[in-house]
Amino acid sequence: MLTSLHIEGNSLLHRLSVRAKLIALVASSIGLFLSGSLAVQAIAFVIAAALYLSVGLSPKEALKRVGFVFLTIFFLAAVNLFYLSVAEVATLTLRLMALVTFAAAVTATTTISAFMDEITILLLPLERLGWLKAADVSLALGLVLRFVPDIFARYQAIREAHRARGLPVRPLTIIGPLIILTLKDADTIAAAIDTRGFRRQ
Amino acid sequence: MDIRFTDCAVRFGERVALQPLTLTLNEKRIGIIGLNGSGKTTFARLINGLVKPSTGSVTVNGLDTVKDDRAVLSEAGFIFQNPQHQLIMPVVAEDIAFGLKNRGLSRDEIDRRMQAALSRFGIEHLARRRVHELSGGETQLVAMASVVVTDPKILILDEPTNQLDLKNRRRVAGAIDDLPEDTVVITHDLALVENVERLLLFHEGRLAFDGNPQGAIHRYHEIAGC
Ligand SMILES: Nc1ncnc2c1ncn2[C@@H]1O[C@H](COP(=O)(O)OP(=O)(O)O)[C@@H](O)[C@H]1O
Ligand SMILES: [Mg+2]
Repeated sequence: MLTSLHIEGNSLLHRLSVRAKLIALVASSIGLFLSGSLAVQAIAFVIAAALYLSVGLSPKEALKRVGFVFLTIFFLAAVNLFYLSVAEVATLTLRLMALVTFAAAVTATTTISAFMDEITILLLPLERLGWLKAADVSLALGLVLRFVPDIFARYQAIREAHRARGLPVRPLTIIGPLIILTLKDADTIAAAIDTRGFRRQ
Repeated sequence: MDIRFTDCAVRFGERVALQPLTLTLNEKRIGIIGLNGSGKTTFARLINGLVKPSTGSVTVNGLDTVKDDRAVLSEAGFIFQNPQHQLIMPVVAEDIAFGLKNRGLSRDEIDRRMQAALSRFGIEHLARRRVHELSGGETQLVAMASVVVTDPKILILDEPTNQLDLKNRRRVAGAIDDLPEDTVVITHDLALVENVERLLLFHEGRLAFDGNPQGAIHRYHEIAGC
């Protein structure tokens, strides 16, 4: 079962600093959006996929992580085929797939606390302007990463409970209890964050 | 510890979770027992300001839980009924260091304190483990380490041995006994509180007994009808 998005390892991406990875991610997003060339997107996707497969995930697990987003992208592509040429749709699709794959590779090779520390530092200038609290924003982002697997695990548990009781397993019937349980936990988690003194001011 | 409840009551909407209560706690070891829903957690959460009094006030070592809420949080650490929910970071070492962030401590200092907290509970070997993969007993010990690392003076433990087997129950009970901090322990595990200095029994939102463990446990059996 997926218990954490980060996996241990010593691949190239593991050794790069968090900052370098975040900058690379932002730069490649901008670069790929500026380029209309199908070949560039294709090469980017191949590189992203190679990096992603080098981080130490099993192919099955690797596919599972991006599968849902890929399906969404393919759906969009199918719709776009009505309006755009095949080449244009291929460019759009490969661009999104390359970025999602690269982002998944960065996520898999970055610990949440390293990520949070880096975001805090990057946001400090905005904190000085009085726009936001850097530590709070990084905590929010960190918590999303931290609890994605939990929510996923809970979804499966509720689905099993439905099956065991012979109830039809429909996403809509599962989402209700999922949201309620998640909010209940969120309450405790928020209390725990406060008692543990993460937010000092 | 010096915890004072003055005419303190708690309501959730219409529902009265805790009837008005005036009480001072000075002992080092305090226990709380009572049936499910009797108000134990609400009472304990009042101590570190997670629940605010609807009327009256609570002070902890002279700090008011409403006015000085941040200071109270660092004075009184809380170990939750479901320790899984208080482990925020995915790896044990990261999680223990979590409470030390945003304090302007150096990396070395954070590391040193984290190691010290782990070794207090004899769980240095768990440092690199994922919090999801810990057993119940290990989770509880990690949760305790993650709270003591910020040096609270008082520790509140809500049903710390609830989900544990006999062996882990002993292990966690031993760790609680050894805590140098003042403790308030809520439990259904009567063995855990038979030697406390003062045992409070709650029933339907009221303090039904306040005194020695034998008296409180006797009264508890009467209330439970067995
Ligand atoms: N956040 C809340 N909102 C509404 N009711 C609550 C809340 N917390 C506790 N209660 C109610 O207050 C009463 C006491 O609960 P609690 O202190 O959790 O009891 P105990 O810990 O002894 O099982 C219960 O009836 C419970 O349903
Ligand atoms: Mg309770």
